[in-house]
Amino acid sequence: MANIVSLQKVTKDYGEGDALTHALRGVDLMVEAGEFTAMAGPSGSGKSTLLNIIGGLDRPTAGRVEVDGREINTLSKTELSLLRRDRIGFIFQSYNLIPVLTALENAEYVLMLQGIPTAERRERVRQVLKEVGLEGLENRYPRQLSGGQQQRVAIARAIVSEPALVLADEPTANVDSETGKGLLDLMRRLNEKKGVTFFFSTHEEAVMKRARRLLQIRDGVIFNDESNKDGNPAHC
Amino acid sequence: MIARLAWRSIWRNRRRTLITIISIGFGLACTVFFIALGEGVYAQFIDQVVRMQAGHITMENPSYRHGPAVDLWLEAPASLRSQIEKLPEVERTKLIILGQGIARSASGDVSVTLMGIEPSVELLTSPLVRHLAEGRYLDDQDGPWVVIGSELAKRLKLGVGKKMVITTNDAAGNLVDELCRVRGIFKTGSVEIDGYFIQATIGFARRLFDLPEEGATQLGVVLTVPEAQEAVLQKIRIMVAGQDIAVLPWQEVIPEIASYIKLDRGSNLIFQAILVFLILFTIFNTILMSVLERQREFAVLLALGTKPLLLKLQILMESVYLGLIGCGLGLAVGGLAAWAVQAWGIDLRSLLEEGFTISGFAVSTKMHARVTIGLLLGTGGLVFAATLILSLIPMHRSTRLSIVDQLR
Repeated sequence: MANIVSLQKVTKDYGEGDALTHALRGVDLMVEAGEFTAMAGPSGSGKSTLLNIIGGLDRPTAGRVEVDGREINTLSKTELSLLRRDRIGFIFQSYNLIPVLTALENAEYVLMLQGIPTAERRERVRQVLKEVGLEGLENRYPRQLSGGQQQRVAIARAIVSEPALVLADEPTANVDSETGKGLLDLMRRLNEKKGVTFFFSTHEEAVMKRARRLLQIRDGVIFNDESNKDGNPAHC
Repeated sequence: MIARLAWRSIWRNRRRTLITIISIGFGLACTVFFIALGEGVYAQFIDQVVRMQAGHITMENPSYRHGPAVDLWLEAPASLRSQIEKLPEVERTKLIILGQGIARSASGDVSVTLMGIEPSVELLTSPLVRHLAEGRYLDDQDGPWVVIGSELAKRLKLGVGKKMVITTNDAAGNLVDELCRVRGIFKTGSVEIDGYFIQATIGFARRLFDLPEEGATQLGVVLTVPEAQEAVLQKIRIMVAGQDIAVLPWQEVIPEIASYIKLDRGSNLIFQAILVFLILFTIFNTILMSVLERQREFAVLLALGTKPLLLKLQILMESVYLGLIGCGLGLAVGGLAAWAVQAWGIDLRSLLEEGFTISGFAVSTKMHARVTIGLLLGTGGLVFAATLILSLIPMHRSTRLSIVDQLR
């Protein structure tokens, strides 16, 4: 399998002088296409920083970052925008849907950015919303949906453009455990059925058990990288 | 979708958007209405004054302005008048003889301005006829008859049909006097005109000042379209090229009126500018607030791959919507109000019983606005364009954020 993400000796520092903080300390990481990888660690361990750097939302202080074969550091702001638009899907902890757009419009936003014709993108979005269990709720605004339903819309938005990589920052943190389980089932199903590569952060034990690969990070260093061939719904 | 997103975004804070739209609308409506009213009053006043004097364009001896006297007359042949009257923008030409003299009766004497006119032309062009309070107006066949102002009649204790003597110097400098009778008495409300102004037929004036047939101190041109003044002025200057005739716009003939209007228009402009500034400040504040409170949302859009330019376009479209609705409302309300005042006028007689004058000329107490497409498009376009320009700073701010900080 080809590498979707490749990190070599990546560091990220914030502040300077006495306030200097090392968020990442020489991280090396490879993520292959089709992986379902969780990254666990306590708050402040560097999970979000690492996700932001892989997603091209932040730049490393040093080191080399390649996503889908492109070196992030060499890309301009516009090129980074295009990379995110075309190759990366994002799922945020607090959903971050656009409140004035319906579920269908939120999900089709990235396709609109890609210039997909209206009829085609509507068809694709309806299909994806059906897959994530939101059939019949297409015209509801985020405020009319539950937390779990909103996160399903966010997942639909992240996968509808068929990106090479979906990054999710604690996607189940703001929902109850039952809903979280459902969301994780959905992500696993999309990973297995459609081959979508998921890379997500979590600090929940149940979620870690569902990952095929589990990375553990603390103080900006990945100190454990293990495969979990048995990571499946039955364990939750 | 960007247009839809922008449209829905402006309505997410309905109250603020409505306040902004009403502010733009109210401010623009006030601006349109007061400019239209001001322009209407100026146009009405200028029209009255120039029609009572020597028209929008005056032709006279080039030396007349430096020392007005009847010996500085010009010959105005019928052929020239007919040539000018053929111009489509010209309503009529009028011959005038303006001279100074003393009006005497058994009760006293008063220095007066005597204006020799063609009654049949004045009847069609001059507003003085409408101010006749007693007697009747002159006609072309009248000999030594005059119409005088009510104040002068009071001072000289004259009534219709009474006799008076006018003493003056003729064009040759000789002291002359003529007996005449009062045909009518007018009351304009202006102390200067009602107290010191006399009209007689041009024939009587020629005899009094000893001027030849076709001789006059001024040949006035009254226009149907005052806006065409400059164009007509140029055409007439070409017609009289090589002749010893000055062709002047009314602004040079009655400069005190032109200066007054310029000054008044300037002060109005300052008032309007302050009003527009306040509107623009409201718009700027609204757009900026709306951008600042959506930083996280913009960060999400940028994270999803929205190009900064597209995000700026969304902010611009929000301003376009606010501007279009606000300006539409303002132009509709202001334009309709101004149109109503143009059609029916505002009568201030109850407030200004004595009337008021500017530089000795009475101003009508019934004010009419003057609303034009140019005014509506100009003011509306200015506020709309300013709205778009003001959105540049919020637009800039919308993409200058740190995505990571906003999503944290």
